[in-house]
Amino acid sequence: MTHRILVVDDETHILQVLSLKLRNSGFEVSTAVDGEDALRQALDNPPDLIITDIQMPYMNGIELCSALVENKATTHIPVVVITARGHTLAQSDTDIANVRDVISKPFSPRGVAELATSILSEIPAQNAPRSEAA
Amino acid sequence: MTTFITILIFAITGIVAVASLTLARYWFVQLRNATTEIEKAIHDVDTAQNEGETARIHGCIDRTRRRQAEAVFDVLRDAVIVVDAHGEILHANAAASGLLSVTPEEAAGKVMTDVVNDHQLASTISAARNGLPTEGRLCEQELFFNSEPVSYEVHLQSVGGHEEPMHAVVTVLRDLSREREVARLKSDFVSKASHELRTPLSSISAYIEMLVDGDAEDEDARQEFYKVISTETDRLRRLIDNLLNISRIEAGLMHIEREQVQIGELVERAVQSMMHQAKENNLDIHTKLAQVDLTITGDSDMLYQVIVNLLSNAIKYTPQGGRITVAADADHLTRSLHLSVADTGLGIAPDETEKVFDKFYRVENYRRIANGTGLGLNLCRHIVETLHNGQIGLDSTLGMGSRFWFTIPMQERTGRVAA
Repeated sequence: MTHRILVVDDETHILQVLSLKLRNSGFEVSTAVDGEDALRQALDNPPDLIITDIQMPYMNGIELCSALVENKATTHIPVVVITARGHTLAQSDTDIANVRDVISKPFSPRGVAELATSILSEIPAQNAPRSEAA
Repeated sequence: MTTFITILIFAITGIVAVASLTLARYWFVQLRNATTEIEKAIHDVDTAQNEGETARIHGCIDRTRRRQAEAVFDVLRDAVIVVDAHGEILHANAAASGLLSVTPEEAAGKVMTDVVNDHQLASTISAARNGLPTEGRLCEQELFFNSEPVSYEVHLQSVGGHEEPMHAVVTVLRDLSREREVARLKSDFVSKASHELRTPLSSISAYIEMLVDGDAEDEDARQEFYKVISTETDRLRRLIDNLLNISRIEAGLMHIEREQVQIGELVERAVQSMMHQAKENNLDIHTKLAQVDLTITGDSDMLYQVIVNLLSNAIKYTPQGGRITVAADADHLTRSLHLSVADTGLGIAPDETEKVFDKFYRVENYRRIANGTGLGLNLCRHIVETLHNGQIGLDSTLGMGSRFWFTIPMQERTGRVAA
């Protein structure tokens, strides 16, 4: 069973490059363009890993992480956060239980793929996509 | 006493770190007046007929000098508290009132620890009375001013020898709130600039790595990667150019060329250069130039940049099939040129219309629609308002479209220009 990763970013180029690298690394990939879209997709069909940007419209990456933790269906999903804010990111933002790692922009797609492989090697892949909401 | 007050005046002047030109001038006038009065009084002493009259004249000299000293203290923005050898307040100026439980006038002659509100400050002054280095002591403290915590630079200096009866401690307190606010704004700006620079840089470095790793499966994919690298490099360049231009204008270092500018020609040139982009988005651009003299004095290149920027935004945020109208007219009553760029686009909510001219502000819901630096409109505002004494603004209705406009005086006026 292939692991599925949900990539979330409002920057089209970043979304495209990460999706392609992760697909080339053997993962199934779905994408979302903001936190609300990502939460909806995660509730509907929980992925094995979420890689999200922080600064996004409607619901930012930190709000997304908190919402995922609070929801029973998504609380277990590990999240990798990508940020362009560097050292200005508050410690409390990354202390959320599901945040497994923080990557700073500019980042290496190769590095992100290796990190995803490492995190998912400990997790069995989810079942096939479900049609009904969780 | 007279000698002491004179020493005190000069001592305090010496330790007030930043004295403005106005204050220095005021000082000079005060001292000159005081000197004249004192010279006259000394002359009177020389010609005094008896001891009683001499004492009266000496008293007059003392009072005059004290009044002069107090007047000088009171125009200082820094708070000044002078404590004598007995721990009593000799003088507190008007700026110190928020640090005291009584008025500065009432504080004179009272025990310092009884009237200074902040215990930390009272302790600092008390400790200084027991001895200070020759050069004084400088520290930063957060003190309560009118019950609010305020950061101060506290400078303590002894006047007269410690064993002398005229010994006193002068405390000058400088409010650091403004410096702190400037530092906070600077840090905020650097943080935002860093964030905006990292975003295109991320795309560039990520796509280069993909090319190096052979992640492009065919020539078409490779060409797509090159295109992303090129557009993101261009975005990075625009961001850096805008940042430098805004920073130079704000610092008053921007050199502008003042010449006669035919706004009609600028509009036509700008529309021509943006026409291709408009057609790609299936948008019509119309120009409405009034048949009057539309000549102003200004920097042609910079004004062209403003018009192109406004047109570029209109194109980005107007859905296909929309219409953009560039209009220019002269208001002979106010003797100003009016130019507007109106679109039938998405519009901007009322609470965001003023913010769109702020540095790095981007309408959150529009980030996905088009890439931008978040600096274009801020640069436009600087070019219009700072360099051309004009005004820029926006009328908009959400869902109906926006009308960005600017006005520039038609008669020549000097903007903030530096060589």
